[in-house]
Formats: sequence, structure tokens, C-alpha cells
Amino acid sequence: MKRLLSTTALIAMATATTASAETLRIGLATAQTGGLAPYDAPVIEGVHIAVDEINATGGIGGTTPIELVERDVRSDPAQTSIAAQELVDDGVSVLVLPCDADPALAAIGIVAAAQVPAISTCASSPTLPLIGGDYMFANFPGDNVQATVSAEWAWGEGMKTGYILYSPDTQYTTMPLYFAEVFEKLGGQMLGEDTYSIGQQDFSAITTRIAALSPQPDVVMTSAYEPDFPSFLKALRAAGVTSQVIGSDGIDSPTTFSLGDAAEGVVFSTAGHATPGSPLEAFNAKYEEVMGHPTETVFNAVGYDLIKVIEAAALAAGSTEPQALRDAIADLENVQGATSMITYKGTDGMPVRQVSLIRVKGGERELVGQPSPTADLVPAARMQ
Amino acid sequence: MEILLQQTVNAFALGGTYALLALGLAIVFSIMGLINFAHGELMTIGGYVLMYCGLAGLPFALTVGLAILSTTLAAMLMERIAFRPVRNASGATMLITSFAVSMILQVLFQNFISVRSQPVLLPQLLSDSVRVGGFIIGVNKLLAIAATVVMLVFLDWFMKHQKTGIAMRAAAEDFAVARLMGIRANSVIAGAFALSGLLAGVAAVLWVSQRASVDPLMGFTPVLKAFIAAILGGLGSLRGAVAGGFALGFIEIYLAAFLPAAWQEFRDPIGLGIVVGVLLLRPNGLIPAASLKAQKV
Repeated sequence: MKRLLSTTALIAMATATTASAETLRIGLATAQTGGLAPYDAPVIEGVHIAVDEINATGGIGGTTPIELVERDVRSDPAQTSIAAQELVDDGVSVLVLPCDADPALAAIGIVAAAQVPAISTCASSPTLPLIGGDYMFANFPGDNVQATVSAEWAWGEGMKTGYILYSPDTQYTTMPLYFAEVFEKLGGQMLGEDTYSIGQQDFSAITTRIAALSPQPDVVMTSAYEPDFPSFLKALRAAGVTSQVIGSDGIDSPTTFSLGDAAEGVVFSTAGHATPGSPLEAFNAKYEEVMGHPTETVFNAVGYDLIKVIEAAALAAGSTEPQALRDAIADLENVQGATSMITYKGTDGMPVRQVSLIRVKGGERELVGQPSPTADLVPAARMQ
Repeated sequence: MEILLQQTVNAFALGGTYALLALGLAIVFSIMGLINFAHGELMTIGGYVLMYCGLAGLPFALTVGLAILSTTLAAMLMERIAFRPVRNASGATMLITSFAVSMILQVLFQNFISVRSQPVLLPQLLSDSVRVGGFIIGVNKLLAIAATVVMLVFLDWFMKHQKTGIAMRAAAEDFAVARLMGIRANSVIAGAFALSGLLAGVAAVLWVSQRASVDPLMGFTPVLKAFIAAILGGLGSLRGAVAGGFALGFIEIYLAAFLPAAWQEFRDPIGLGIVVGVLLLRPNGLIPAASLKAQKV
């Protein structure tokens, strides 16, 4: 006990006298290989860019450099929990967890017991902080918010009938259920729904059924992502269905823009759009400068956002102590990230962030709008 | 009625692709007793060749040829490097080896190409559809059916009239006796892998033309489907693999098409339930391999 006391005293002295001796240690337990790597790997690139940028100026507030401790969890929930335990034992102040709600939740017991704040790289299910508790934060516009923005846009464009395709396999792929809920609340009519399995490959049976509907739905909404989305879309168009298709952030990927006529006019919601003079445009330029090639996905910028949130929390807390950081994150308001302003204050851990609606036009992205959803319409998180 | 016919065309197209995949597994299994789970990674290799050739702006016909050539060569390399050293080991050793090859290739793709899906540029024609009578049929569906027919006719001819093919059939029936007749084990096995690579290449082109992208893990689903189809048809039997592939395609499409909406969520378990049901009635598969009969049942 005596030794512990003196160590504590030493640390206190160190922090009091030379703040520069302090570093903020962030544990990254993310998927660099496996099925989630397509999302986590670009996020971590953005994390590195932000950390290098901050450390080049001497650290957070010019005094507290950031140290990253990295683990690859191979997209495996069990491995995520092991890595989280190792990092917590290693004394990190903040944990970064994988993109999907399910592996992120695998670490929840450890996060809660150690009382270390954890942020998922890009999980967007609003159930994540609900199940995860006080120490779990998300870093992406919620599925229910994205679906509300899409549904309000479709209704505003005069679309009256809809059809959804969803998969019960993950929380994320059930986003169309939120869409249907909002669309019906607005007065729209759902003509039907279909389910698919992730990685299903063949959608011809489903698209034949949609093509046989009379009249055709005005809008078809899905949160399927690669490889399912291109397969579905190509099959849908080949079956002769010309309805408006709405997707979500999972299809914000080069494949969507290289599908030619099939993808023309598709609208999807995502985390940001590089309008001229926007922080995202500046980030994209910086990314190209650092990495030597242009960014392929908004997930790079989302990683940058994540560090900006931690930086803002550390500045507000004036400390690298986990509990102080958690309280600071929960109280953050209008942090300027690369994609949007980010607010945690008043939420349960699902940040308020801007949603951008993008249209595919001639193989390029065209901004439809960055509308704020009507708060009353946003559906409550659906527990699976 | 029209819907039924339309869905039947869909089932033929999907079943044909499954048949090609299952044949690729069955050819190697019939001779070596190895279920090559790295078969899917051969398809991924074909997909990446399609991607790179598309980026280089090569004409699509040439691209397809190169993709099929690359999977054939990759299959022969796979045999030479990974499977020849364990050829006489137990079935379990070979199975684990094939898993290892599969995982190593996946990590190599992730680390040296990209963890993210890469778009594959395809001719617009493949996304179009044609009207035949009252139907709308996608061009890629027609191509899948045509490619399946061509490959099946070619294989039938090769197995019946070509020396290597006849040697392979002999080896499949009784490898030891075939060797006593002067058939070289190395060339027969290399030939089997080459054929399975060829089939993987054709299947890869059909598969990728549907999804328009290639990612490091894309081989898993097709190899799983091929495995189910091969078991359903009768492991090691080539005709069985074709029958199993078409049967699986029809089961999947008809369930997706005609199951009531409330049951759609359970489509996959119901489909696999039907497969189990068939296997209960015919434990060696729809068309069992001749060589298997003596050992089992």
C-alpha cells in the first residue's frame, strides 16, 4: 500500500510539474483482417493521420502526445474481448472497438468493469450504446437517423409507395425496417418486404417478384452493402424495375460508382460529402498528400473524426484519466470533425452528426442535400 | 405461370453456376479424396485478374481468357506447392492443408491488394436484359446457362474421348490399379487440378459478373455452396455434382420465389433441411460415385 501511495504521489507530481511527460494512450482493438477489415482498416488510416497531425504540434493542447497501442481482432468477437482485456490491463485511457455492433459488444463486460470509455470505429446501430451502457459510444450517424433522412427525402420527392429489402443477419442490415416505419408515419404505403442473407449472391428470385408487382413501388430501400448491393441492383434493373433505389452508407464505395447505368440515380445516405471549402475536402487533400493516393471512402474521414472527439474530450477533461474522459465525451458539443459537427451531449452515446444524401450521377457523386431529420419522426432503437 | 417460367430460368442460371463449382470440387475429390476448400480462392484470383485487366483497359473477351488461364495455372501451382507433399497423408491432413491454403491466400490478398472490395469494370451488355416472348431475361443469366452447357459438353467429351480424361476416370475408380496400368499419378493429379481450376475460372467470371466487385474473402460462399451441392449429388461423382448443383439452385430459387413472406426469413434453414431430407433417403447422394459403393452403405 505504501508503495502504491508513493507511486500515485509520483504520478501526481509528474502531472503537476511537467504536463509534457503525460501521454494519452489509446488502445485500438480493431479488425485489420477478416470480414470487418474493409471498414476498420480505412478508419484506422484516418486515426493515424489525425494522431500524427496532433503529435506534430506537441500533442493534445500542445502538451499531451497520443500513443496508439494496436491489436488486430481479426473480425472475431472472442478475439475482440481478449484484445480489449489486454489493452485495459496495459492501462490505456480509451478503447477503440470494431465497426460492427456485435464484436464491439463482445468487449462490453471488460469495458464496463474497467470503467474505460470505448468508441466503436463506425458501428451505426442505435442499439450499441443502449446495450453497451455508459462507457460505450458510437462514432457514426445512427441507422434510425439515416433511415429518417432517406424516408423524408423520398416522401418529399412525391414517392408514395415503397418496398424494402433487409437482412436479419446483423443490426445494420435491418435499417430498412426503420425506413418503412418512418415512411408509413409520413403517409406512405409499403407494398412489401423481402429478406436476404448476407453474401447471398443471387437476387433474381426476389427481383422477379418485385418486377411482377403492379403497380411498381415508387421507391425500393435497402441497406445491403457489397457484394449484395451490386448483385441486387443489377438483378433489379435487369428484371426491368425502374423504381428509385435508396441505399445507405455501406454502399459509399467505388464499386457503386462503377456500375454504369444500373446505379444511375441511386441515392444513399452517408456520413459526409466534400463540398468545396468543407473540412472533408481539406481532409481528403491531406489524405492524398500523406498516403499518396486519393481516399476511396468516407471511413477514412470517420477515423479522423474519432481522434478529434478524443482530443476534444481530453482538452475538456484536462486529464487522461478514463473516468474523466468518459464524462467529457458524454458532454461534448459541436466538435468539428472532418465529416461533420459532432455532439454527444444529451444523447445516450449515439452522436448527433450530419447525414448527407448522395446521388450517383454519371459515375460521380452528386450532393442531394444534408437535411436534418425531424426529431419526432426518428424511430426508437429496435432491439433484435 | 409466367412467373414460374421466369423463376425456372433463374434457377437454371444459378444451378448451372453451382454445378460448375461442384464439379471443380468433385474432380479433385474423385481422384485424391481431397475436398479442396481453397477452390473459392481460385475464384478470387480469377476475380482479381478480371479487375486488373479491366483497369488496364483490355477487351473483355481477352480478360475472360486470362482470368480462366490464371485460375488454371493457380490450381496447378496449388497442387505442386501445397498438396503434393501431403498426397499420401490422411484425409484430415489434406483437408486442414486446404483450409490453410485458403486462409494464407486470403491474408495475402488483404495485405497485398486491398482489404476493401475492388470494383470490376464490366461491359454494359452484361447488365442488360433481353425480351423473349413475355419474359425479361438478363444477359448474364443467358451467359451463365450457355457457359454451363458448353463446359458440361466439353467435360463429357474430355472424359470420354481424351487420353488424360480416360486416365482420370480410371484413377477415380481405382488409383492403385490405374497406376499399375502405367498411368502416371503426377500427371493425372495435375490434370485434375488444372480442370478444377478451369471450372473455377469460368465460375469466377459468372460469379463476378453478377456482383461487379471482388474482395479477399469472396471465395467462401461459393465453395460452401459447391460443397453442399457436391454432397447432395454424391461426393466424388461428376454427374452427381452436376445434379447436386442444379438441385441446390432450384431449391434456393423456388424457396425464395414461392415461400410465403412470413417464412422467407427461414429460407436458408428450410433449404438445408430439404438437402438433409434428400440425404436421409439417399445417403450417398443423388448419383453416388461408383467407387464409393463398395466402402459405404
